[in-house]
Order: sequence, then structure tokens, then C-alpha cells
Amino acid sequence: MDGFLLTLWLVRILFLLLLYAFLFAVVRVLLRDLRAASRSRGELGRLVVLASPRGEPPAGASFALDVIATLGRDVNNSVVVDDPFVSGEHAVLTFRGRSWYVEDLGSTNGTFVNGAQVETVAAIGFGDELQLGEVRLRLDRPRT
Amino acid sequence: MSVAAPALPIPAIRIRPRMRSTELLLLALVSVALVAGASSLGATQRLLAARTAGETLASLDLSPPDPRGLAVYLTALFMVHLAFVLAGRRTDQVLLPTLAMLGGIGLLLMQRLPQDLVVQRWGDVALGLGQLQLGWLLIALLVIAALALAVRSDAWLRLYKYTWAAAGIALLLLTFVFGSEVNGARLTLSIGPLSGQPSELLKVILVVFLAGYLSENRTLLAEESTRIGPLRLPPIPYLAPMVAMWAIALGIVVVQRDLGAALLFFAVFLVLLYVATGRPAYVAGGLLLFVAGSWVLYNLFAHVQLRVDNWLDPWADPLGAGFQAIQALYAFGRGGLLGVGLGAGLPTIGGRLPVPAVHTDYPLAALGEELGLIGLLAILGLYLVLVIRGLRIAAAAQDDFRAILAAGLSLVVGVQAFIIAAGNLKLIPLTGITLPLISYGGSSLLANALVVGLLLALSDRGAEPPPPPRAPRRGLGRLRRGAA
Repeated sequence: MDGFLLTLWLVRILFLLLLYAFLFAVVRVLLRDLRAASRSRGELGRLVVLASPRGEPPAGASFALDVIATLGRDVNNSVVVDDPFVSGEHAVLTFRGRSWYVEDLGSTNGTFVNGAQVETVAAIGFGDELQLGEVRLRLDRPRT
Repeated sequence: MSVAAPALPIPAIRIRPRMRSTELLLLALVSVALVAGASSLGATQRLLAARTAGETLASLDLSPPDPRGLAVYLTALFMVHLAFVLAGRRTDQVLLPTLAMLGGIGLLLMQRLPQDLVVQRWGDVALGLGQLQLGWLLIALLVIAALALAVRSDAWLRLYKYTWAAAGIALLLLTFVFGSEVNGARLTLSIGPLSGQPSELLKVILVVFLAGYLSENRTLLAEESTRIGPLRLPPIPYLAPMVAMWAIALGIVVVQRDLGAALLFFAVFLVLLYVATGRPAYVAGGLLLFVAGSWVLYNLFAHVQLRVDNWLDPWADPLGAGFQAIQALYAFGRGGLLGVGLGAGLPTIGGRLPVPAVHTDYPLAALGEELGLIGLLAILGLYLVLVIRGLRIAAAAQDDFRAILAAGLSLVVGVQAFIIAAGNLKLIPLTGITLPLISYGGSSLLANALVVGLLLALSDRGAEPPPPPRAPRRGLGRLRRGAA
């Protein structure tokens, strides 16, 4: 009879051990995912072109953003916006701490976030719309 | 100057099978664990039956009590896995096994409890507790598979948030008027042969509405443009839904007498408000409202007083109001560290269970007795895994709506599990809600299946991109040609 009870006890403990084995396996998967996510942290955001009447950059194009991205008509900008209403050095997007800011660099026609003109610096969130001249862009979350 | 936003290219849907080895491995672990649990349950039940009959067993029989039911459940799990593999979508691989483990533990518990606790009859066929739970689990798995495979766009949730909110309020009002009372709470709504608890469905609708509303007005709510004395508030009209939410929670307590649902809704609402705005002041304000509301309700309503007094001192009325709470505490105590083993706990007192609502409100008491502290911690760990996984999906989401929706869906399960676990352990007053995915009940299982299915759909990394935000107002100044 004691043999029975011992086997039964072992099966009972086996169930508890298997519960923890499952949790352990899950936690390993979670850790692996977290590590993979932290390794691939390349871009900080994306800029998607919504409308661009002159076709440069073409509508639908998207740019991966680093910590600083300059926008304007000059070829040495990180995002070249070739539109007659855009200044040579028009605006700059900066990632400070945890969020994005847009700064107008004294452009002639101004920079607009969701239709409101940017005086000097303005915070800009993911999904917000940016307008330089006739070109409309949207700031998006980085691709995972 | 009126340039329509270009249609973003939608990737063509190409179905190609994709291996899901992590999910397969975890599901295999779940199966082995559940078979071990069922063996221990079957052997213990046979041993106890032999003892009460005064016989000794010739040999130890380790077969499960209901091998066919367990086999059907495990087969269904692998079928869902196979469907995911064939559909080839890159959805989360941890959610299904975690849900399978919780559901399986629930199934073992329901097979272990007296089968006549709940009996449904259709003509000659009478189904007991375990078989009913198995049926609901199979339907829940079907719902999860359908949502995870079919939902490719979230427009039907995103665009119709006020429609969903209206449907939710209509459901609530229907329950207020036509609901039938069970144990002093007006929870159950019956339409023809169907009956269910709308509050379970409501929690999903609430999260969908809040995700839509908060993602659209997130920046406005984080603003501080109105000042009342020392208070700085966002624009007043945008606070109206918040106050309405508080009023609805109070209404549920007063009319439905359902403290659990009210607590769950209000907690989820506050958490999501914090997730969306990042302002602790909202949480502080909400808690103040909560304390004020609770104090008023405590003084006005007897059913609230009963719950609180019962929590403070269940031994004041050990054979009446406090009976269930005290028996649950004894059950946790009997369980100790390792538990008494599945099937060996819950001695009946005078032919009835010590904890009458063990299959709905108190499954944790039974599990605590039979699996012990170690087992309970593992179960709470499983809920934690669900929440962490949901928050990871939220962090990786492509826009605010999906992020808040994923966070809300996972937190609603987590908060519900916390409320009922804390209630069972006498940490807070007991409020009658179900333990997600373990408790018996169709409404509860189906609502939580909706949650997990939506989370799976949201986790797809190859899904349709979210639509561009609605066109903001055009405030563009005059343009001068020939800019510098």
C-alpha cells in the first residue's frame, strides 16, 4: 500500500514540476524575444510621405529616422524635399530622451504640425502630420 | 492644394504554411502536464472511493477520470495549432499554450468537482459540469482560431467606437431592466433559450471604446488648458466621457449590485487613461472619486455594507454570511505548501460542498487546497505571462489605437484575475467575478476567448498597416512662391 501512496505522491509532484517547466520554457521564450527586440533597435521612427505634388520624394515613400534628421531642398539634407515652397534648410527633426521634436530653421513658408505652425520647436508624436510647403509627411512608429 | 492622401500599398494576401516550433513545443509541455495532472486526479479519486467502501486497491490505476474528454481537449488544441501553421500568419506563439494550460487546469477542476453542481438537459441528454466546461472550452478555441485567422484589419473596431459604446450601454440597460437576479446580484440576461452574463462581454466592448477614444484624444487629454483654482485640467468637454464612466460604474453597483464588474471596469478605465496620457494626476483623481463613491455607497446600500463587514470579520457570522469566506480560508490553510493533491481536497460537510460557489467565484480556493501555495503561484505566473505578452504586443504596435487596445485587453484579464484572487484570499472584499479562463461559465470563457483572439490578431507582424490618421484641419498660411 505504501508503494501506491509513494507513486501517487510522485505523480502529484510531477504535475507541479511540469507546471513550472512550462513557466520556465515560456520565460525563456520571453527573454529571447526581449533580447532580439533590444538588438534590432536601429531606427527611432519613420517619416512617410502622404502627398507630394512635385513627386520628389514620391508619395508613399518612407524614410527611417536616426536621432537627427534634417529636411529641406538642399541635397545635403537627410530627407531631401524638392518642392518650390520648401527652403534649402527648412526644418530638423530631433529625438530627445523619449520623444520627437520638430524645429523650424527659419524657413520662408513655415513648418506645420497637424495644421498648426511651428514657431521655434514643437513636440511631435507618432501619427502626427508634418507639412513643409506642399509636401505632407507623417511621423510613424519604427518598424519592429 | 487639396491633395488626397495616397492609398498605402496593401500587401497581397499569400497563404503559405509557416512552422511555429515554439508553440508546438509549449503545447507538448502543456499536454504532458495535463496528462500527469489527470492521472494524479484519477488515481486519488479511485483510492478515496475504495477507502470509503472499506476495500483495498489491488493495484494503482493511473488512468485519468475522463480520458476521452481530455483527449478531445488536447486534440482541439493541436488542431488550432495546425490551423495557425497552415494559415502562415506571424502571430504570437506564447498566448495559445498559456491559455491552453489555464483552460486545462480549469477543465481538470471541473472534472474533479461533483458533476451535479451544474446540469444542463437537452431532452434525454444530460451533461454534467466537466462535459459542459469541455464544450465551452471547445467553442472558445473555435472563437480564438476564427479571430486570429480572419481578422486582418482593425477598421471595424476603430471606426465604429461610438457604435460599440452604444451597443454596450444598450446591453447594460437591458440587463438593468430585464436581468434576473442570482444571489442578490442582477447579472444574468436571458433571451429565449440563451442566457448569459453581459458584463463579461461589456468588458471587451469597454476596452475597444476606450482604445478608440483615448488614441484619438490622447494629446488633448494630456494638455492642461483649463484652470479651476489650483487645478489644471484638460478642456472640460473631453472630460465628460470620463465622468460618464464613473457614473456607469456607480450605476452597476446600485442597480445590478455587481461590485466585481464595477470595480473591474473602473480599474481598467484608470489604467488605460494612464497608459494613454502618462499623467499620474488622472489616476490620483480617479482614486479620489473611487474612494468618495465607495464611502457614499457603503453608507447607503446594505449589500455593499454586507460585503465589507464580511471581509473585515467573517467570523462574526460563521454559519451564515461568513461561511463561504471562512471555508475558503480553511481550504487554503489545508493546502499548505504542496497541496493535498488533485481530488483529495474539499471534504463535504453534511453531503454538500463547504464552498458552494467553488466552480465560479472560488476556484482558487479549491486549487489552493489541492495544489498548495506552489501550485497557486504557478497559476498566478500564467496570468502574468498573459499580461506581459499583451504589453509586449502593445509596445510593438504600429499606432496608438492598436497599442492601447492590446494593453487594455491584456490588462482586463490581469486585473480581473487580481480582483478575484485578492477577494478569495481576503485581501480585499470579495466581489463576485470569475477567474478568467479557469472558472466555469460560457459567458466568461467566450469573452476571454474574444480577448485572446483579438490579441493574437493584433500581434501579427505581417498585418495590414493602420489607416492614416483623419485629416487634421488645414491651417496653412499664405504661400509665397520662390522660397529661399
